[in-house]
Amino acid sequence: MRKPLYVRILQYLAMVLLVIFIISPFLWLVIMSVSTSADLTTKPLRWIPSQIDFSSFKELLTMGDNSRGELFVSALRNSLTTALSAVSISLLVTVPAAWLLSRYSGKKNMILGIAIFTFMLPPIAYCIPMYKTLVRFKLMDNSFSLAIVYCSMILPFCVWLLKSNVDDIPFELEEACIIDGAGLWDRLVRIVLPLLMPALATVAIMALIQAWDEYFYAMLFTSSKNAMTLPVVIANLASGRQSRYNLIAAAGVLASAPPVIIGMICQKALIRGLVAGGVKE
Amino acid sequence: MNRKHIGNYDYLLIPMILIMGIVIGWPLIQTVIYSFTDAQLLEIQPAQSVGLQNFAKAFQNKGFLNSLRVSGVFAFFVVFSEVLLGTSVALLLNEPLKGVKIVRGLLILPWAVPTIVNAMMWRLIYNPEYGALNSLLYQWGFIEKYVSWLGSANTALGSIIIADVWKNFSLVAMTVLASLQSLPEQQIEAAKIDGANSWQCFFTITLPHILPAIEVATVMRIIEAIKVFDIIQVMTKGGPANKTRSGSIFIYQEAFTNSRIGSGSAYAIIMVALISILIIIYLKIVNRKER
Repeated sequence: MRKPLYVRILQYLAMVLLVIFIISPFLWLVIMSVSTSADLTTKPLRWIPSQIDFSSFKELLTMGDNSRGELFVSALRNSLTTALSAVSISLLVTVPAAWLLSRYSGKKNMILGIAIFTFMLPPIAYCIPMYKTLVRFKLMDNSFSLAIVYCSMILPFCVWLLKSNVDDIPFELEEACIIDGAGLWDRLVRIVLPLLMPALATVAIMALIQAWDEYFYAMLFTSSKNAMTLPVVIANLASGRQSRYNLIAAAGVLASAPPVIIGMICQKALIRGLVAGGVKE
Repeated sequence: MNRKHIGNYDYLLIPMILIMGIVIGWPLIQTVIYSFTDAQLLEIQPAQSVGLQNFAKAFQNKGFLNSLRVSGVFAFFVVFSEVLLGTSVALLLNEPLKGVKIVRGLLILPWAVPTIVNAMMWRLIYNPEYGALNSLLYQWGFIEKYVSWLGSANTALGSIIIADVWKNFSLVAMTVLASLQSLPEQQIEAAKIDGANSWQCFFTITLPHILPAIEVATVMRIIEAIKVFDIIQVMTKGGPANKTRSGSIFIYQEAFTNSRIGSGSAYAIIMVALISILIIIYLKIVNRKER
């Protein structure tokens, strides 16, 4: 059925407003990152930069002893190592667990319930003893211990989503394999894992984005270029006395680039994953 | 006998349970233990048990109660706006408009921008001296002089709420949109043939179909919003005059700035109890759907 013309016009108008709402804050961040300091400290502002200036990016990405670049590049590296380690550890232990919880459900479902429950509790409930323990064992400011801490949020998330994905793999396929006399390893590696691959990739990407995003634990448990992650460096830049807005903006653009690009590429899979988080069709 | 139960592979759970025990179970138990003591962050003297004193004091502590109120107000306005905006956007983007696919694609942008970058971005936009918002409103003649959006008690929380809505409405919109796209078109067409108008179709078919998705997204967002820490810490650190000091910020300051981890833990446990109620509601909704 066709909608009246005025409805269509209103709809297009609403869509234009929506696009402006979504794009303008981030576009302004990008513009700030390539503006000169002078353009960003005039009243009223210069909306279109007088010249495109990439020096902020260059400064952030150039290594030099004790320079801002060194801190930023280390943070980039730390963010990557921490996120990758946390997600690898989590997937390694949750893939077999998710399979077992799916295939041999029953009382063990309680474990899944506990995982989902603890995933939703505030980090503030865990961070105090974590802090004390990390100090006692001299594990503060260390990417690997931060990755273990991240498992407290990544691991429950992974087992939750993976379990519901294993549910979708028909058990009959495994049965055929059992009749052929295959052992557990064969069943997992030859049947389950290949079928689980697309879901596994989605879960891994979502978990990586979560770890990349994490600020609270990183702020508490890291203090130098040894382990500080990007969110901590950016938060320090933003709340410090730093008045070079183009530099802060450039750091933000660089930190957003990986998740935004991955998000755009894997959009379909991500949305399916996000929705599966709570709403099963 | 169920054929699934051939063999016992329970040991596959051991690594996961071990890690969960170390990073979740143990800290949670420790927090509970601390909450009955006067433990300090820097152990000057050994912690003494104080019984339920921390909890009794918590309910008289105006700062703590105020921080719970801030969390509640923040969660209410943020989730209300996100659900309203997200659902409207989903309904709009479900229409056969030109270019709608591209706009759907844009929804992922706010979701993908890291929380800290979002906070920093809006902090720059709200900047009292050179912020884009001030400049824009001034140029358009809405304000006479620049406003300190994050620095004045009246506007700080509202400004943070807008920043949070920008990032998180997209999640609600994507969830509801996915639900809308699973709605069989024949159902609506059949109703229209039966003489139902657009509004009747919406209230009897579309809305009931997407309601579960909205429900889940709402409770999920409430749980997230009550816990709010990151965005506030970067934008205002809880100021001005504690107007934006949420529960998480208050507990963090109590434990790590004031070094009182005993009472800090007690506050954390109270918050856990409050959030647990919401989580149970959430799990009930999800389970009901799976059945």
